[in-house]
Amino acid sequence: MGHEFLSIYSAKLLEYTLAISYLLLFIPFWKYVQGGKRAEATVPAVAKRPAVQVARPAGAVAPRAAAGWFQVPAGVHLHPGHTWARLEADGLVSVGVDDFAHKLVGPARVELPALGEKVAQGEPALEIGDEERLVPMLSPVDGTVVAVNAAARERQDGLDDPYGAGWLFKVKAPRLAANLRQLLTDGPARRFVEDAGEALALRMNPELAHVLQDGGTPIHGIGRALAGDEWERLARQYFLT
Amino acid sequence: MASASAGAVSAPQSFVREKILLGKTFREYVRSCCTPVNAVAALILAIGIPLIVIRFAAGLGATTNLSQTAPWGIWIGFDMMTGIVLAAGGFTIGATVQLFGLKEYHPIERAAILTAFLGYIMAIAGLLADLGRPWNMVMIFASYGTASALFEVAWCVVCYSSVLFLEFTIPFFEWVGWKKVHSVMKKALIALTVLSVMFSTMHQSALGSLFLLAPTKLHPLWYSPFIFIFFFLTAVIAGISMVIVESSISHKVFHSQIAGQHVDVDKLTLGLGKAGALVMFAYFFLKLQGVIDGHAWGYLRTGYGAWFLVEIVGFVLVPALLYAYGSRNGKVKIVRIGGVMGVLGIVLNRLNVSVIAFNWNQPVRYVPSWMEVWVSITLVTIGVLLFRWIVNRMPILREDPRFAEAHH
Repeated sequence: MGHEFLSIYSAKLLEYTLAISYLLLFIPFWKYVQGGKRAEATVPAVAKRPAVQVARPAGAVAPRAAAGWFQVPAGVHLHPGHTWARLEADGLVSVGVDDFAHKLVGPARVELPALGEKVAQGEPALEIGDEERLVPMLSPVDGTVVAVNAAARERQDGLDDPYGAGWLFKVKAPRLAANLRQLLTDGPARRFVEDAGEALALRMNPELAHVLQDGGTPIHGIGRALAGDEWERLARQYFLT
Repeated sequence: MASASAGAVSAPQSFVREKILLGKTFREYVRSCCTPVNAVAALILAIGIPLIVIRFAAGLGATTNLSQTAPWGIWIGFDMMTGIVLAAGGFTIGATVQLFGLKEYHPIERAAILTAFLGYIMAIAGLLADLGRPWNMVMIFASYGTASALFEVAWCVVCYSSVLFLEFTIPFFEWVGWKKVHSVMKKALIALTVLSVMFSTMHQSALGSLFLLAPTKLHPLWYSPFIFIFFFLTAVIAGISMVIVESSISHKVFHSQIAGQHVDVDKLTLGLGKAGALVMFAYFFLKLQGVIDGHAWGYLRTGYGAWFLVEIVGFVLVPALLYAYGSRNGKVKIVRIGGVMGVLGIVLNRLNVSVIAFNWNQPVRYVPSWMEVWVSITLVTIGVLLFRWIVNRMPILREDPRFAEAHH
């Protein structure tokens, strides 16, 4: 090449042009990488998995008699943070809190995500609590919120049927098949809530863990009854937040 | 390996049987090792290990095609340069989890650290084979050549291998069940991660600084006064790509170990792909800037220029776009293909810099002897076998239930 005296100008010109075009190109590239329209993956991914049960429409759910205090009906996919997801007939996924969370917190106030908001599996999506304090709970699936259950938010007894009329919001879930693999159903789900119940029973009376079991189901608002103002900490422990 | 440990360990029989022989009797264990993959590995080792012995007994001249004009062969270009850069997953993921707090990547952290640790051990083995008088290695502790890039490389490799060893003791202590030391090491993990980022940043780039001494020997398209920055950036790219490839392979091969775990490897792969896309995109433009800065664009029309474009377009820009497309559209397979191409691209880069485009203007070119190639393959095979041996026994991919709480 040699060192031509003048070539420094063409080199600098090229360098600046490259640097500026890099910066200009990086903006759309960044936007492209960060943005995610993954909606088209939804339906085929779900259709390929026969294991996913399409549940009966909300309300018609007949809870299978589960042993112990807490119930988990069929077709419900449970997140370890005590939220559930269920694929509805219309292809949307409804999300709610499980019986355990409902009974732990008692008649509760819920804060729901806004329509159009994006939720992600394992990330906080809703809040539950009393008039003073709210505890976040995790979303069981990834997706965009397309419907919110206003009745559950506004009425005191909104959560009383936690797997039916007490659903909280519905999402369009693009990665449902992958998400569901992380969730518990049927036997494992029931065992999971039973274990949680057992741990709670031990807390009530360490020596006589099982005595309460034949004395009827626990009252709502166990958390507050057990831990008083500490209920929030107790709830966070179970809700993994 | 199993028979040696069985003879040496004086602990009760049950320990050896449970921990080393995976609960089988010695006879059952040996029989379970008779697989086609192991047969190939045994063949490689049966020829490779005697070759290493010959190299140390008869010297470099007997086994390699190295000469005074070409003192660096593939033991440096492949085993050392590539082995080290592919081990960068250890500090990349370590920093992601421990320092940046992205805890969702925790399930792949241990495997990345183990890969890094074994990568370094194999790189050091390759280096010892390549050094004419390897016993003089100890001189780095005695003579302080602080102006030398090689001195920095040597010290950083020593320090970083020690840090990786300490990080690796955490799953090791879980395996043998020593709870007290384990909890001490667990607490030290953040400090170790800080050290690992520091040492590996310094020496990944110091490996590049070595070439600052040879501006006339390295082809102008690859030489740049900023080559140490390129080396560091490629280490990050290699770290991300290697973790994508390694985690998808190990989750396929060792799927029985991760049954019942709540780990969405696909999601982690997509996240890594996103990061990889941005870093590779930036690196591609920096490489072009290096060409312009070195006034080397005239060489792009030559054969070396075409080869250079294969490297930075075919194995940097294309995988960057694959990463971007795959992670945006949730296509894990495409991200994995990008990962494989990214790893190959980094291997190609290191071979180009240290072997192919090095001494490019010499009349006689270096071509490795078959023995050099075989020894390199042997070292990689030993690394893979060790990885498998450890993953089958120690809690690398899964959590040890007795220590489960310690993970959260």
